[in-house]
Amino acid sequence: MPDKVFFLLPVFLLLLGCQKDDQPKPDELEGLMAGGGTTVFSTGPDAYTFPLANIGGYLGQHAAGDAAFEQAFVTAPAPQFGGIGPVFNQNACIACHVRNGRSAPPVHTGDPATGLLLRLSIPGEGAQGGALPVPGFGVQLQTKAIFGEMPEGTLAVAYKQEVVEFLTGEKASLQLPVFAIENPYQPLPVGVLTSPRNAPPVFGLGLLEAIPEAGILALADENDSNGDGISGRPNWVWDIKEQRTVLGRFGWKAGNPTAVQQTADAFNHDMGITNSYFPMENCQGQGNCQSGLSPGLDIDDDFVETTAFYFKTLGVPGPRGLDDEVVKIGRELFDAAKCSSCHVPKHQTGSDAISALSFQTIYPYTDLLLHDMGEGLADGRPDFSASGQEWRTPPLWGIGLAQVVNPKASFLHDGRARTLEEAILWHGGEAEASRNFYKNASKKEREAMVAFLKAL
Amino acid sequence: MKFNHYLSVLAFSLFLASCGDDDTGTGTADYADVLANVGTNVFLKTYEDLKDRAIQLQNATAALEALPNSANLEAARAAWVAARSPWEQSEGFLFGPVDQEGLDPSLDSWPVNVTDLNNVLASSNALTVDFLKAQEGTLKGFHTIEYLLWGTDGNKQPDTFTEREYEYLAACAGALAADAAALYDLWSPAGGNYVKQVTDAGNGSNIYISQKAALEEMANGLIVIADEVANGKINDPFSQKDLSLEESRFSANSKADFADNIRSIQNIYTGKYGSGGNGNGIANIIKAKNVALDARVYAEIAVAIQAIEAIPGTFSDAVFNAGTAVENAQQQVRGLLSTLESEVLPIISNL
Repeated sequence: MPDKVFFLLPVFLLLLGCQKDDQPKPDELEGLMAGGGTTVFSTGPDAYTFPLANIGGYLGQHAAGDAAFEQAFVTAPAPQFGGIGPVFNQNACIACHVRNGRSAPPVHTGDPATGLLLRLSIPGEGAQGGALPVPGFGVQLQTKAIFGEMPEGTLAVAYKQEVVEFLTGEKASLQLPVFAIENPYQPLPVGVLTSPRNAPPVFGLGLLEAIPEAGILALADENDSNGDGISGRPNWVWDIKEQRTVLGRFGWKAGNPTAVQQTADAFNHDMGITNSYFPMENCQGQGNCQSGLSPGLDIDDDFVETTAFYFKTLGVPGPRGLDDEVVKIGRELFDAAKCSSCHVPKHQTGSDAISALSFQTIYPYTDLLLHDMGEGLADGRPDFSASGQEWRTPPLWGIGLAQVVNPKASFLHDGRARTLEEAILWHGGEAEASRNFYKNASKKEREAMVAFLKAL
Repeated sequence: MKFNHYLSVLAFSLFLASCGDDDTGTGTADYADVLANVGTNVFLKTYEDLKDRAIQLQNATAALEALPNSANLEAARAAWVAARSPWEQSEGFLFGPVDQEGLDPSLDSWPVNVTDLNNVLASSNALTVDFLKAQEGTLKGFHTIEYLLWGTDGNKQPDTFTEREYEYLAACAGALAADAAALYDLWSPAGGNYVKQVTDAGNGSNIYISQKAALEEMANGLIVIADEVANGKINDPFSQKDLSLEESRFSANSKADFADNIRSIQNIYTGKYGSGGNGNGIANIIKAKNVALDARVYAEIAVAIQAIEAIPGTFSDAVFNAGTAVENAQQQVRGLLSTLESEVLPIISNL
């Protein structure tokens, strides 16, 4: 579904202008402009699909990127949009990032619709400190192939049920997905490390990229010198164009430094589309990589950059009902539980090449740093500096609309959490104290905390 | 295919003009009649027609496979055109299950994966509906069927078809019929009942927290498709003079596609579809605020459809030989887009 052209910000200003006497106090509304001047206000399934409210003259480039983000690719040779595969996960960006939001995890083994994929590696360190590819499979399991080639394997899933009991006696059930690789096209080496990754929402990434590095590093506390039990570490990752190690920001383990490189990575590993960042097919040298090959790169840098430009210039949806009494209590509890130690509410962007993103005060609720989240969430697969137990704090902005945008969407890296409450209950490691705060809270307090998240 | 382009046209001042225009005095007007009629008599009915005509297309391709001749080929082509019409008339509301369940790419992916298609045809794989259901959207749906029925230059003859092409066609139409049936079922009260999300907006819907939220999505849907017709479907092949960017070029059905897309806007705006619908549409809301604007929207819709239909010959020909008529159609759709965007949507957004 293509996106919208209009500007919801003025509507918001209008609403403020029309307020009656009982208007909320300014501090209650803090964070209402979640994306600063870029913020859009929509409560429907299209909430993640609007351009920056202040997009101005960038609209044409945004529109071109929208078409690229939606475009399905086909087998080469083709007059238009050739180069898919030979092996791939999906044939268009939008197929995983449903309405620019989260994917549904696989419902069953071999579910062709899911935007969840499996990263692979073997123990050890690869080039530039990254993961070491699995011989014959690379760094990702591609579960589809063009006609005549074999997919690398089938992603199998089974769900185990667990029960958690609150201090007050009520119970919540959790589901734990257990993934496996079935029908590998050739025998899989022993000891392969895997990391399931569900497709995240794509709005707001331009703003996250525009947060100055110093602002993120200032939040790092690698040795927990302040003794709060929370140590945030930066991931240091390889920047392909700059040919040096830099701060990672994007992906579940912050394995990519820029939105453009993240895009180029996804084109290559998820779709089999070669580009100057990743010029080799994702199955280079493999026995299932013999046909559907084109002589040059499948897309040029302009196409990669235009695609990234699209989601970098998507507006951030503003919160709803921040002045609601329950939401206000939930917000206080969010702080009291120290959720905000990692889900850091407020940041300032610096100067950006896209001026609409520059010098904005934003409320993404992330520190973009890695945290040990405990064994329950661990994938056991390192990714640059990130250990097998570390994950990057995901932003919470717009999270209350996740299941309005896609009712099948779920939360956490492998989509195991069907609700926000389940997501909270899976927190461990550095977040264990916060999780216990929630578990030990009264039903009303727990409801208030979830109400706050739903307001974001 | 859903290219999308944008007009940078927003007059911010229009938003600022309507503060306190709550001239009904209640501030809580009820739009349940609009939601009920558009949801049930436009959305659901469009999908019902799509489902029924997809079955007819499946039957026609089966008849063609059983007895390949010119008459059966023409009948199958006519059935494709007939099924295409409700699909294009559904593109003003590409939200809900069509989007969330991946049915849009399954029904209407573009371009066709001709390389894979040729390899499948050259293989010995059984060409069954189940085989087609498991394929990517670029190997099935309207455009793959279209490509097989008409060929690249639109004049394929029965004696140039292979037996496997007939088999593929029939299986592909079967998969399309299954998708169309699934889509109808997901909306239908007897099935997934998504229509209730729309009709009960703000009153129990877990998708739309207010009637306004549902109406805004509808209004946005009108804008999206007007934009796509003017700035994507017409503009891309026309401005680049490249027919490989024209969506329904094999069947020469592009003009009908465009006109049906604008009819989709008309249906939702006027609250009528075919001979059905009780007339409660977006128009009710606009008319209550601005009678002249309502009349203008009606007229601009009609003029846009006329201008598209007035393009002489096929759209492919017109791209090169009737530029003035193409430009006029594009301008009329852009005019409608501008009105929807800068005048209709703000009224809905300020409800």
